[in-house]
Amino acid sequence: MILSLEQVSIGTREKKIVDNVSLSIREGEWYALVGQSGSGKSLLSQAIGRMLSPNLQVEGKIIFNDHDLQSLSPKEIRAIRGQKLAYIFQDYQGSFTPFRTIGQHFHEYQKAHGNRDSKSRKAKTIEALESVGLDETLYKRYPFQLSGGQLQRVSIALALLLSPDLIIADEITTALDSVSGHRVLELLAKRQKETGCTILFITHDWRHVRRYATRLAVMKNGKIVESGGKHRILDHPQHEYTKQLIQAAPILQRGLPSGLEEVGSV
Amino acid sequence: MSLLVVENLMKTFPGGKTAVNNLSFHLGKGECLGLVGESGCGKSTLARCLLRIESVDSGSIYLNDIAIERMNERKLYPHRKKIQIVFQNPTAALNPKLKIKDSIIEPYEQYRKELTLSHFSYTSKEAFIGQLLEAVELPSHIANQYPHELSGGQKQRVTIARSISIEPDLIVLDEPTASLDVISQGAVLNLLTELRETLHLSYLFISHDLAAVNQMSQRIMVMKDGEIVDQFNQEQLFSADRHPYTKELISIF
Amino acid sequence: MTGLSIRLPRAKKNRIQAGIALLGVVFFSAVFIYTFLYLRHDPVLTDLDRRLLGMSLQHPLGTDQLGRDVLTRLLLGGQQTLGYSLLALMVALFIGVPFGIISGYKRGLVDRVFMRIGDAFLSFPDTIVAIVLSGLMGPGIGNLVLAIVLVKWVSYARLVRSTVLSESQKDYVLIARINGLSSRKIMRKHLLPHVVGHVLVLASLDLGKIILLISAFSYIGLGAQPPMPEWGAMLNDSRPYFQSRPELMIYPGLAIVSVVLLTNMLGDYLRDRFDVKKEVQQ
Repeated sequence: MILSLEQVSIGTREKKIVDNVSLSIREGEWYALVGQSGSGKSLLSQAIGRMLSPNLQVEGKIIFNDHDLQSLSPKEIRAIRGQKLAYIFQDYQGSFTPFRTIGQHFHEYQKAHGNRDSKSRKAKTIEALESVGLDETLYKRYPFQLSGGQLQRVSIALALLLSPDLIIADEITTALDSVSGHRVLELLAKRQKETGCTILFITHDWRHVRRYATRLAVMKNGKIVESGGKHRILDHPQHEYTKQLIQAAPILQRGLPSGLEEVGSV
Repeated sequence: MSLLVVENLMKTFPGGKTAVNNLSFHLGKGECLGLVGESGCGKSTLARCLLRIESVDSGSIYLNDIAIERMNERKLYPHRKKIQIVFQNPTAALNPKLKIKDSIIEPYEQYRKELTLSHFSYTSKEAFIGQLLEAVELPSHIANQYPHELSGGQKQRVTIARSISIEPDLIVLDEPTASLDVISQGAVLNLLTELRETLHLSYLFISHDLAAVNQMSQRIMVMKDGEIVDQFNQEQLFSADRHPYTKELISIF
Repeated sequence: MTGLSIRLPRAKKNRIQAGIALLGVVFFSAVFIYTFLYLRHDPVLTDLDRRLLGMSLQHPLGTDQLGRDVLTRLLLGGQQTLGYSLLALMVALFIGVPFGIISGYKRGLVDRVFMRIGDAFLSFPDTIVAIVLSGLMGPGIGNLVLAIVLVKWVSYARLVRSTVLSESQKDYVLIARINGLSSRKIMRKHLLPHVVGHVLVLASLDLGKIILLISAFSYIGLGAQPPMPEWGAMLNDSRPYFQSRPELMIYPGLAIVSVVLLTNMLGDYLRDRFDVKKEVQQ
């Protein structure tokens, strides 16, 4: 187990938003956390990297690579974030500082994690950009000069830069249209194959679950209503809510009645 | 008979980007025509040209056989009530300072003198708004609420209620479900299909979601870089002679 | 619900502030209305036999150097100061807000012309304009009000324009256009409600500044002309008697300070109120 959550609850003093959630993620898998907006899935993912705002309290244990993340000092958690655990967010605009170039973002990120050699930083940056199929010319561009799909690729390159063990991808295609969203995920899947990292994939889109996930959990109102292997859940959903979610998402009919055979290799 | 005919439509933005390139198509009465494409392919610009909130460089737009592409605002006025639009983002499409009932009633109040309704009937403002809210399956008490008190799906239903209130011939649906969550998406699509049948509406359904377009439309056009690259009836979606780009789209969904 | 504990003190402070401001406004209006209905003394009638009297039942705050009742003059002076300030503000609003809305909605040439006119006015500070005007047209409260209007309307036009610029890009304005609403109706129904809050805040904060300006100019003799009672002018009139009768200066001074303070509190309150509403909406 690379990550396990044990009876995690998140809430303010007045109200619990995430209620007693347990799940465990195996090394190298693509684990999907599915739910509608407001289900608490994003809060849960932010709790892992201790990124919640201070008025939210977290109970329970979050164990990542045998460390109890709740008990680490702020300095230790910063070291883990980025090097062992990286995030990609939905809001690609907000993930970049508008007045700094793409290259500067990469430099800063590496500097913060101890790479003091500017030449090696640059070489690594260009290598990273190429690994996500982006041109070296983007190095000097500013975020607003890139399309959403390009920025989300840069986010992936940045997240993978220090070869983390776990990537938390929080609704990364929601702000993109389906075509560029698809391309971004294809890329993420390819990079996962190459690096072997684990992905916690937060989404409300069944298409992506069907295509990429190995296992998944369905969340509603802060609770996990159903979890298990992808084929089990998609073919034989037990919970009413899961059935409802699967029915609501239109798919093209051909060959995918259960979402099974066509999906193939992950 | 065609409700809407577009011939050789061109639209280039200052700066040289051609958003709509020599586009021609027609849309029959009672039809739902799907238009699929990525963001930036020009599909929203096309919608804005059809509604005459964007000027046209060249080409023609016929609505009920009348060319509307160069009419000035005064001449256009009687034709405006025949086309309505539903935008992607319902939050931006509702004035946050107006109550739901005042937003819904706006088109009707504008056109009430020259309007004859066949499905709805206006006896009083309350009753009329009640009918409209019922048609989009919303509870009547939200009439007195403000947009920020509603969920995204509810807000989109409100904008749909507003657009059907004057019983237009054509509604342009510009990504009507793109900003909604999965369950509301399905529900809104079903609602739109029902409304089209009961109110005898025609739709131009614009989306990047081929699966949704396929579910809604009898005929589908695929747009890429300002041009229509493929056009087919819904049942021909999987036929072998589809354009490579259409095949790529199919592979995604 | 999150952060409720943080917001509570602010809301409380807000309520207290609003309470004081409201009480003050009510108090001053009541007093002014009362004065208007019931004048016990002629505010301009000089009576040298009764000059510089102390407090008495007949003259609660005594009389000034020309034997006029100080309380009557103070209250009437308040009417003048506040009245002219409000007048200046209103006229500035009535010019600035429509200019701003039209400029922001129509854009293009209209916008450029309007804004260049605005720039021209904005390039002179209000004090300079007031001094120049009184130099050209002679001193007087009317010219002072004109000078204030000339300078102030621009800031409202700019504020309104920037709000309208962003708001008129939103889909609901487009939809109103598609539904054939006239420009005038769109501006009135859809855009005006969005600027009211901002304008109210700026206006209430401006009111204090304008009161100070009118008093200051009357003090140096460029505003209200004798024998008209006005707080700034009263300050100036009683200057020679500061040694013997300091309260003659203290009364109008205190009046100015408290009214300006009140308008500022009201402005702060309005600003917070409209801020909070925005937060909730988002």
